[in-house]
Amino acid sequence: MNNEHCDQLVDYLNGTLSAEENRQFEEHLKTCDECREIADATGQLPYLSDPAEPPAGMKSRILSNVFAEESESADPADSGTIDGEPENRSSHSASSASSASSAAAGAAVGNRASSASHAESETSDRKPRNDERTNVVPMTGRGRKRNWVTPLIAAVLLVSLLGNVFAYMQLQEEPEQAAPEPAPTPPETAFQSVDLQPSEGFGGDATAAVIEEENGALNLVVTAEQLAALEGDQVYQVWLIEGDNPIPAGAFTTNADGEGATYFNIDNSTEEWDTIAITLEPQAGNELPQGEVVLSAGI
Amino acid sequence: MEKSSDTLLYSRIREKDKDALEYLYDRYEKILFSFLLKMTQDRDLAEEALQEVFIKIWRGVGEYDDSKGKFTSWLFRMAQNSAIDLIRKRKKATVPLDEVAEMPSGESSVEQTAEWQEEKEHIQAAVSQLSAEQQEMIQLFYFKGHTHEKIAELCGIPLGTVKSRIRLALSKLKKTLHGMQERGAIDE
Repeated sequence: MNNEHCDQLVDYLNGTLSAEENRQFEEHLKTCDECREIADATGQLPYLSDPAEPPAGMKSRILSNVFAEESESADPADSGTIDGEPENRSSHSASSASSASSAAAGAAVGNRASSASHAESETSDRKPRNDERTNVVPMTGRGRKRNWVTPLIAAVLLVSLLGNVFAYMQLQEEPEQAAPEPAPTPPETAFQSVDLQPSEGFGGDATAAVIEEENGALNLVVTAEQLAALEGDQVYQVWLIEGDNPIPAGAFTTNADGEGATYFNIDNSTEEWDTIAITLEPQAGNELPQGEVVLSAGI
Repeated sequence: MEKSSDTLLYSRIREKDKDALEYLYDRYEKILFSFLLKMTQDRDLAEEALQEVFIKIWRGVGEYDDSKGKFTSWLFRMAQNSAIDLIRKRKKATVPLDEVAEMPSGESSVEQTAEWQEEKEHIQAAVSQLSAEQQEMIQLFYFKGHTHEKIAELCGIPLGTVKSRIRLALSKLKKTLHGMQERGAIDE
C-alpha cells in the first residue's frame, strides 16, 4: 500500500495510464494484494446495472465483425463477383479496403457501422449521430437485405454450401438435387447465399449464407426483414432440416422494423441438409418446431 | 460467476476457438450490455463498446491471467474502459435514459438472472455502507467515466484530493465486500 504504484490504481481503473504504465501497473498488481482486491471489488459494480434487453441481431453483428476482422487480408475485390449492386459493393469495398490498412479496432468499428446501419439507421428511436454511420445511405428492397451479408463477404472467406431455392412445402417429397453447384473454384473463394420464401399467409424476407472461416469452421448467418412483430416470449427460430429431422440453428427476435438476424456455428454438423426454415416459436429453446413455418428454402 | 470455467473458456479463446468466444459472449452479453448502457446511456454506443471488448478478447489485447484478479473484474474493466473511450471520443452529452425500456430479463437463463440478482444484492449492500459522498465518487468515477478534473469541478473539491477520495471509497467498498464474504462463509 505504500508502493508508489498504488497511487496509480485509480488511473489504472479509469484507463488513463499509457500502455507502458499500464504494463508496469499490472506487474505491480501481482505483488500488491491491496490493489488487486480493490480492482476486484470494482469488478462487482456492473451488477448494479438494471437489466436491459440487447438489441435484436446484436450478437450476429458483433460476432461477424469480430471474426471478420481477422480475415481482412482477404481480397476485397472478391466481393465484386458476388453482389450485383454496385452502390452497395462500392461502399463496402471502400470500407473494407480502408479497414485493412487502418488500425484493426478502428477498422472493425467501420465494418460494424456498415452492417449495423442497415439494422439501425431506420429504427425510429435511434438518436441521430454525427459520425460515420450517418454517411451510410439506407438501402431499399433487395439491396438492403444484401447489405447485411456484404461486409462479411468482403472480409471473410466463403464457401458454397447452400444451393438453389425450393419452397419448403414442395420439399416434402424427395428433394431434387440442388441446382448446379458453381464451377469448382477454390472453396475459400466460393460463396452462395439462399433467399428464403414466405409460406402462405406469412410475409417477410430472409437470406441465409454460409461462411467458412480460415480454420474451416462453418457458420450459418441468417438475416431477415419485414417480419411480423413478435408477441410475448415468441422468437423466430431457424432450423436446418434433413428429411424429417430438424435441428435448431439459431433464434432471433426482431427490432421495431421487423428485422432480425442470427449467427450459428455449424461446425460439427455436416449432415446433408435439404431445407432451411424459419418458424415462429411460442418461446425460445425448443428442440423441435412447435410453431408454423414462416419462411423456408430448399438447399 | 464461475471463475474456473471462465478461465478455461478464455484459454480456448486464446487458441482461436470460436465456439468458446461465442459461449463467453452468451454468458456475459446481457450484463455487459446492461452495464455499458448504464454508462453510455445510448444503445448504439453500448453495442459499439461491447464489440470493442470482444474484438480485444479475440485479438488477445491486454491478455488476462490470474495475476490480474478475477476474470469478471478484468472483463468488466475492459468494458468500462471501452465505454469511457467512446464517451470521450464522441464528447456526446448523455441524456436521461427514460425512453429506453428496461425490460425483464426474458431471454437470459434463469441461472444467469439468479447470479446477477445475487451479485447485485451483495454489491448494493456494500455500496449502501459508503457515505453519500463516497457513493457519488464511485458513480462519477466508475459509471460516468468522468476525469478527475470534471469530478473536482462537479463536487467542488480540489483536484489533488479527488484521486485519494476515490481510492478511499473503493478501499472501503472492498473491505465491506470482504467482510460480507467472511460473514457469509461463517454462516455456511
